Amino acid sequence: MAPSRSPRKTKPSSSNKSTSKRSTLQSSSKTRISKSKVQNAAPSKTKRPTISTKNKKKKQRTYTEKELGIPQLNMITPVGVQKPRGKKKGKVFVDDAESMMTILALVNAEKEGQIESKMVRARQMEEIREARRKEQEKREMARKEKLEEVKDGLRKKRLKNLKILVDVKEVGVEKKVKKKVSFG
Amino acid sequence: MRSLTEEETRTLFTKLASYTGRSLNNLITPSTSNGVSGSTPDRYVFRLHDSRVYYVSLKMANLATSVARDNLLSLGTCIGKFTKTGQFRMHITALDVVAPHARYKVWIKPNGEGPFTYGGHIVKAHVGRWSEDVPDHQGVVVCSMNDIPLGFGVTAKSTVETKKADPTAIVVFRQADVGEYLRAEDSLFNTTG
Repeated sequence: MAPSRSPRKTKPSSSNKSTSKRSTLQSSSKTRISKSKVQNAAPSKTKRPTISTKNKKKKQRTYTEKELGIPQLNMITPVGVQKPRGKKKGKVFVDDAESMMTILALVNAEKEGQIESKMVRARQMEEIREARRKEQEKREMARKEKLEEVKDGLRKKRLKNLKILVDVKEVGVEKKVKKKVSFG
Repeated sequence: MRSLTEEETRTLFTKLASYTGRSLNNLITPSTSNGVSGSTPDRYVFRLHDSRVYYVSLKMANLATSVARDNLLSLGTCIGKFTKTGQFRMHITALDVVAPHARYKVWIKPNGEGPFTYGGHIVKAHVGRWSEDVPDHQGVVVCSMNDIPLGFGVTAKSTVETKKADPTAIVVFRQADVGEYLRAEDSLFNTTG
């Protein structure tokens, strides 16, 4: 029976078939056989599963709203929920000398500006007040002068009147001498 | 105890700057401790504890962290306290910090020292000397004629207006005076009050 066995071994096609059959049987029963082996054995059969897997992968891919460019829903987000990203939580402390100096310089500049403006305003106001005072004094002087002039005029008039009266009296006295009575 | 935030620092410096000039920078810049050459510079910092601000050396502030918050009463020099509305009130304890850097000063006569240290405002009759060109509502350090700081206040009138004012007119509103060490003894260092 030995010669009958040998030609069987040499036949490549029959042996291939047998192996393929075996492989299919094995693949159905066991899943140990690698893909590469399967591809080598029957490339036409292996094409199908690759396409199906690709389709599966495509189906799994999900797009975000940003990627799709869909306008966002007009929803109200509560204030407490909105969190600024990349920012420190809580209070920001100032402990290094440089930032303290910066704040101090800013404050100092502001304060000096305020004082300077106050001083300038005070000086301007003082100048205005001085000018007003001088003007008032000038007006007062002018009024006084005018009053004095009027007074002088009146005095002169009065003197003139008095002189006339005295003259008239003198004439009258000469005409009529009054009796004088003297005591003690 | 914690360091101040930006807003708090600005408020504090604004208040301090109303009494002091440019030399306020010296408060923050490190100075060689005890004047010993070669020693490491001792930096001074501001620390907030129970709404009070303390001016303290960094070394001391670091050491104070080992004391429990409830047990820590005070450290360094108390400058003042933050009110609940966020304003800053300077205490008399800040006088030692402010007086050497004062921008404007008012010297009061010996007869005015009593009324001032008892909590009264300063009237013109008690003023011995003035710094020149002081605007109104400006922080001033009040000193005795021997140049000893007695407190601080805010001017009611500018120097020019003061010259015209009558002797009984108030020229400086008192903010703090050394008499508070006795008058407000129980509340000055008591953080609960």
